Amino acid sequence: MTVTTTPKATVTRQERVVAINPTRTCAPIGAMLATYGVHGALTINHGSQGCATYPRHQITRHTREPCEVATTSLSENAAVYGGKENLLIALKNVYERFHPTMITVCTTCLSETIGDDIPAIIGEFQENFPEISIPIVDVNTPSYVGTHITGFDNFLEVLAKSLVRRGRKPNNKINIVPGWVNPGDIRELKAMMHEMEVAAIFLTDYSETLDGGFYSEKPHFPKGGTTLEEIEDSSNSMALFALQKHVGGKAASIYDRRYGVPSHVLPMPIGLENTDQFLSKVTEVTGKEVPESIEMDRARLLDAMVDAHMYVTDMKVALFGDPDILEGLVRFTAELGLRPRYVVTATDSKQWADDMMKLAEELDLDTEFMMKTDLHELHKRVKAEPVDFLIGHSKGKFIATDENIPLIRVGFPIEDRFGYHRKAIVGYRGAMYLVEEIVNAFLSQKTVVSNTIMDMRDLEGCTLTNGSGNGHGHEKMSEMVKEA
Amino acid sequence: MLLKCNKTIPERAKHFVVKGSCTPTPGGGCPVASNVQTTPGDMTERGCTYAGCRGVVGGPVKDVIQLTHGPIGCSFYSWGYRPHLADSDFHIKYSFTTDLEESNIVFGGEQKLLQSIIEAAEEFPEAKGVFVYNTCAPALIGDDGKDIAKIAQEKIGKPVVFFRCEGFAGVSQSLGHHVGNETIFKELVGSVEPEGDFSRSINIVGDYNIKHDIRTFEPLFEALGVRIITRFTGNVSVDEIKIMHKAALNVIHCARSATYIADMMKDKYGTPYIHVTLWGIKHMSDALRATAQFFGLEDRAEQVIEAQVAKIMPQINHYRSRLAGKKVFIYQGGPRAWHWPQLLRELGMDVIAAATTFGHEEDYDKIYENVGDGTLIFDNPNALEIEEVLTTYQPDLFISGNKERYIAYKMGTPFVNGHTYDTGPYAGFSGMVNFARDIDRAINAPVWKLVQKKARPVPGWNGNRNETSMAEAF
Repeated sequence: MTVTTTPKATVTRQERVVAINPTRTCAPIGAMLATYGVHGALTINHGSQGCATYPRHQITRHTREPCEVATTSLSENAAVYGGKENLLIALKNVYERFHPTMITVCTTCLSETIGDDIPAIIGEFQENFPEISIPIVDVNTPSYVGTHITGFDNFLEVLAKSLVRRGRKPNNKINIVPGWVNPGDIRELKAMMHEMEVAAIFLTDYSETLDGGFYSEKPHFPKGGTTLEEIEDSSNSMALFALQKHVGGKAASIYDRRYGVPSHVLPMPIGLENTDQFLSKVTEVTGKEVPESIEMDRARLLDAMVDAHMYVTDMKVALFGDPDILEGLVRFTAELGLRPRYVVTATDSKQWADDMMKLAEELDLDTEFMMKTDLHELHKRVKAEPVDFLIGHSKGKFIATDENIPLIRVGFPIEDRFGYHRKAIVGYRGAMYLVEEIVNAFLSQKTVVSNTIMDMRDLEGCTLTNGSGNGHGHEKMSEMVKEA
Repeated sequence: MLLKCNKTIPERAKHFVVKGSCTPTPGGGCPVASNVQTTPGDMTERGCTYAGCRGVVGGPVKDVIQLTHGPIGCSFYSWGYRPHLADSDFHIKYSFTTDLEESNIVFGGEQKLLQSIIEAAEEFPEAKGVFVYNTCAPALIGDDGKDIAKIAQEKIGKPVVFFRCEGFAGVSQSLGHHVGNETIFKELVGSVEPEGDFSRSINIVGDYNIKHDIRTFEPLFEALGVRIITRFTGNVSVDEIKIMHKAALNVIHCARSATYIADMMKDKYGTPYIHVTLWGIKHMSDALRATAQFFGLEDRAEQVIEAQVAKIMPQINHYRSRLAGKKVFIYQGGPRAWHWPQLLRELGMDVIAAATTFGHEEDYDKIYENVGDGTLIFDNPNALEIEEVLTTYQPDLFISGNKERYIAYKMGTPFVNGHTYDTGPYAGFSGMVNFARDIDRAINAPVWKLVQKKARPVPGWNGNRNETSMAEAF
């Protein structure tokens, strides 16, 4: 179904009702992941046991780290009489056995449908045990609303509303809400801020808790994570930067309205232009200039893009994943001279549709932006009109294998490769990494002698596409080959 | 027995026994509380009934549309993570869901289910049927999925099988196995009456072809002169399930997840069954012998066993010399905790602790029979218990699943994935070599010497376990 259209680009929404190979999962995992970014915090998932076990298994497969999430183990009894008793017991057990700094209670289909009043149950618990003074927050994460990023976004909203203390002591820091990214992305953002000598509070920071080290004694809670004190203090920051509109956007407006922290919701800093925009905003707010080290990274990125252009210009790419990563990747791939042909997200967002159409117009893209669409639909598109490679998470590997095209692994989950949770795609260095991945994926499919491709089809193809810039070189090229 | 980490949840004590210091039950084992509700918030490793039905029993069926009736997550998480392989990959590659949303929860999801079945069948006309798995949400709002399945079956002209496996039913995955068995039996088994001679045929019941386990033993049964009609449910087609009642004998491998269907077949068709174990040298030999005995083919069995054992013994002896004397903590879903102590003994190793996620009383009786005095036996472990057992018992090897692997690693304990295997297959005689090689790689990897010598404490931590930020666990 076509939603909007320009002369070249369209936004569509999938018509088929049955979802086949979804590129999304459900909300609780988002709240669990975000909670991992608070030091010493634990999540209790209020529902069936699978609702805790499946997501934490998924996080473990992505990060190769332990991931603990408690469950209230609801069963038939709870379905009939409510889950209050189980939640009260779970809160006590988690507190007494683990001594967390904070507990997140997130809901499920089950607890939402039976209508458990979570705030009231938490209130009763706190009345029963006044000596337990840690924050206990509740996040609505029914599986039937939104996607996995909804759970993360809802958690951040709750964080902004209930964990931040109103204050009037400027702390000379900025708040950064990275959104649903990898531990490696958070570390890259931290490194950039360090180089700029800007102090930042990350909401939240699972860069170490879900990518920890090996220590001679395993700490009870993984090292790292934003502390509750930092979160309380985040109302005193001079500005907030939300780097994903759909994960952190709601929290940003709360900081703005409630705490008077000027909030900037920016496109995810993937690629040159978006990173420029982010860093110049940081400079504007903090007065701290972009240092030479970052300028040199920026120059190296441009240099690499120049070096890469003869390999990649006009290649067609299909992208899939979460809306904000896609927004960043669309601009970046276009900067690099690629043609984003299909862009698939499971999220149904008018803002995303509008933003993508603006981007398409600005960059003159002939892209089909596919909202609320699954990977099977993408596969059918790719079969009908092939692309040169895919960019997305591991679940796209079936398309890549069937169509014999490379999959550049970006996003969540990446379970069939090693260490991708450590890779950063943000910032100039992240963009550099992506350029290298893309070019090397291309080269790995070719015969290369020294640094020259020995593939006559592509040599011909280059001649044909050079200068035309209309992006149809590949079809023409293959026709020529067939005729020959 | 009460672990230190359980001092605030004393009800966990009845889930622990030490062999040799308990009063045996009439069943011959030790009284281990099992198959009961998990203590809420104890950080259990258990999953849900849906996981047991969709993930374990139904999911391996290779040529049906695996359709989850529910919101998006259940289908996403059960998609392609368990290597229950077949000679085709449709069942691994595709996951289908009705993708229920808020409006469906309010107004019902039945129409969406019907439309989903029809669309999926149109999209994949080669599929031989549809398995529909129910989840919490549609069960709570009262969707009549079974009725919809019936309507859909008429419309698409193929079996549509509806599994009542909503996650909140039962106490663990185990009920999902039961639902899977019962539903498949009622809806499919015996629905076709094939011609032919089935007098020397068997079903392998309770093997899910993890990493092609079946390839290690199917040729051995064939060498006996016995044909496998149906593998329940590894590498199996829906047509093979329909005729499984023709087999002369059911050979049950996973007793916990699949004895149900063998019992039902025995009642309805009079099909006898035997319990076997298809991992390990002694077990595999016994399985071939028992099957051969049923058909009067004992001589052939001995020839097959002799040839196979001779083939692998040089390698087994090699690994045994490197592994002898090592101590193992094994924690599996169910029966592997009693199947594998024998395999480990064949490699010269001893089990010092054994646990299961969803075992029942019979499983704990069997563990008891298969381990030595002093072994800790416990039920439904949680994260802190696993850490405490790894710390106090100091096993040389921990055998468990993916989720527990990284706890073991952070504690410096070598680990082998017993659920989905590190390499595999592990079944049969040839699989035993893979099992031994993986254990050797885990235990004798140089990295453990490196971390013992070189690992340092957490920077900035003064080692005080009582510090709030590193709160003491037990």
